[in-house]
Amino acid sequence: MATIRTRNRSREMLLRFAAYLTILVALILTLFPVYWIAANSFKFDIDIFAVPPEWLPRNPTLKHYDEAFVQRPFLRYALNSFLVAIGTTAISVTFGTMAGYALARFHYPWQWRKQISFWILSTRMMPPIVSIIPLYLFFNYFDMLNTKSALIIAYTAFNLPFATWMMKSYFQDLPVELEEAAIVDGDTRWGAFLHVALPLARPGLAATAIFCLIISWNEFLLSLIVTLTEQSQTLPIGIAGRVTQYATYWGEISAAGFMACVPIVIFAFIVQKHLVRGLSLGAVKG
Amino acid sequence: MLKSDKGTAAPLRLGRGMEQWSERHLRYLMLAPTVVILLALTIFPSIYMFYAAVHRVSPNPDLPWTFVGVDNFARLLTDGQFQVALRNTVVFTVVAVSIEFLLGLGLALLLDKFIRRLTFLKTVLMIPMMLPPIAVAITWKLIYEPQFGVLNEIMFRLGLPIQAWAGDVNLAMFSIIVADVWQWTPFIFLLMLAGLASLPVEPYEAAALDGASSWRQFWDLTIPFLKPVIAIALLLRVMDALRLFDLVFILTGGGPADRTKVLSLYIYQVAYRFADPGYAAAISLFVLFVTIVLSTWFMKRMRLAE
Repeated sequence: MATIRTRNRSREMLLRFAAYLTILVALILTLFPVYWIAANSFKFDIDIFAVPPEWLPRNPTLKHYDEAFVQRPFLRYALNSFLVAIGTTAISVTFGTMAGYALARFHYPWQWRKQISFWILSTRMMPPIVSIIPLYLFFNYFDMLNTKSALIIAYTAFNLPFATWMMKSYFQDLPVELEEAAIVDGDTRWGAFLHVALPLARPGLAATAIFCLIISWNEFLLSLIVTLTEQSQTLPIGIAGRVTQYATYWGEISAAGFMACVPIVIFAFIVQKHLVRGLSLGAVKG
Repeated sequence: MLKSDKGTAAPLRLGRGMEQWSERHLRYLMLAPTVVILLALTIFPSIYMFYAAVHRVSPNPDLPWTFVGVDNFARLLTDGQFQVALRNTVVFTVVAVSIEFLLGLGLALLLDKFIRRLTFLKTVLMIPMMLPPIAVAITWKLIYEPQFGVLNEIMFRLGLPIQAWAGDVNLAMFSIIVADVWQWTPFIFLLMLAGLASLPVEPYEAAALDGASSWRQFWDLTIPFLKPVIAIALLLRVMDALRLFDLVFILTGGGPADRTKVLSLYIYQVAYRFADPGYAAAISLFVLFVTIVLSTWFMKRMRLAE
């Protein structure tokens, strides 16, 4: 008996050791690439090209930040990204919240609820590449290429289904009795939504909005198709534009790339409790 | 159940008719904007794309389109580049998602007990999948750089031959997959952790009493309980892998020798570089058809819409 217990305990210890070792390795593998882009953004060109690589920037410099954000229009790109993300998020969250609430609470004839939920989800599954041809021709026809409005319209196509499903799942978690009580007290159905359900869903609303901001901020393909001018291009397009056939401006793209990551990391920590739900479109409640 | 759901016994505030009307039809009014926007943004482009696919389309908007019938679809059968792109997409999707799944599930099983309360650490591990794909792409481009990249430095230190990685015919797809695995394994890991956290305790106690080995418990209890989460995770990953674009665009541009040319990139090239939107629309319809069939089958089976 005693030997079994000792064996179990040493097995337990071994498992624990293996687990912490794995976590450590995973942390290093996760963080190194992010560290590396940050480190290179603070190096002079000559140090970026150093062999063997300079693991820590020996001569830290802000030169590439100056190049990217002062001399070249990366600040403009970042602002475009930000404005487009805000516009998309505002539209998606407003309409998505209403639709999500409707799908969570109301009854419809002929299984409409199921059918419509399903259809909305399937629009989210649509690969963006398949919509670029019609969107391009459409924006071209209406003379909207190179505008931020075009990007907002295009991004709404995949952010709105996301917001709808997220909000649907948050509303489904709320007890319906509170809204019923409000109606008994004389509130309208709309009032019950506005004054009771919506305030209770506020954390979910915030998480959904942040996810929409992240999705729009990160988007690349649609922006690549729709925008060709500095006035409308987003940050990812600006970065990709400095990777050319002839030269890659490592310092500049490292600085811009790292700056593109910073808000995302902050957002990730703000929504950490909602990550599971957000990444599974509300399907898994973490 | 809410009475007003029936639309009959809504609280009767004798206000203006308009208010009553909107109250009675609230369930449609709240849904309408989303449905209208999504119809406009998905159904309309699909029809338009079909229209473009049966025409020879000039990129110049002033030139007329010529009707060509099913020609563009027929080209799919003989276009070698399309078949290469299709094969690359399938290879990438199968290999990358399999690795991410096995790695993510394995890590979750090993670390579940130890990391459950380490929320901060867990969030740090989730960072890669939140990052802009373009930033991830340039980061890996820097790591793979043949002359001064970190990876070749490590190879050199280990006494292994240095490689061109993303620039090597045989390693290019592998390089893309590694970057994707780096970014998306955390996603599977996170969902599996969530699944494991929601497992009921009783069946395991009963199984332990019956003397079931942990291997048996894993196959007979853990996997069946995790099935819905696994299904969602795989569905989302597969759909994402099928649309791979950013990584390839930056890391290889589809090369070398078309080894990493995937469908999204090929459509992009046909539409813009070869200036043939009609044919690009035909390929797009093919991709759309495949994803609809795949995701519908998946979602129906998993009853996701409920």
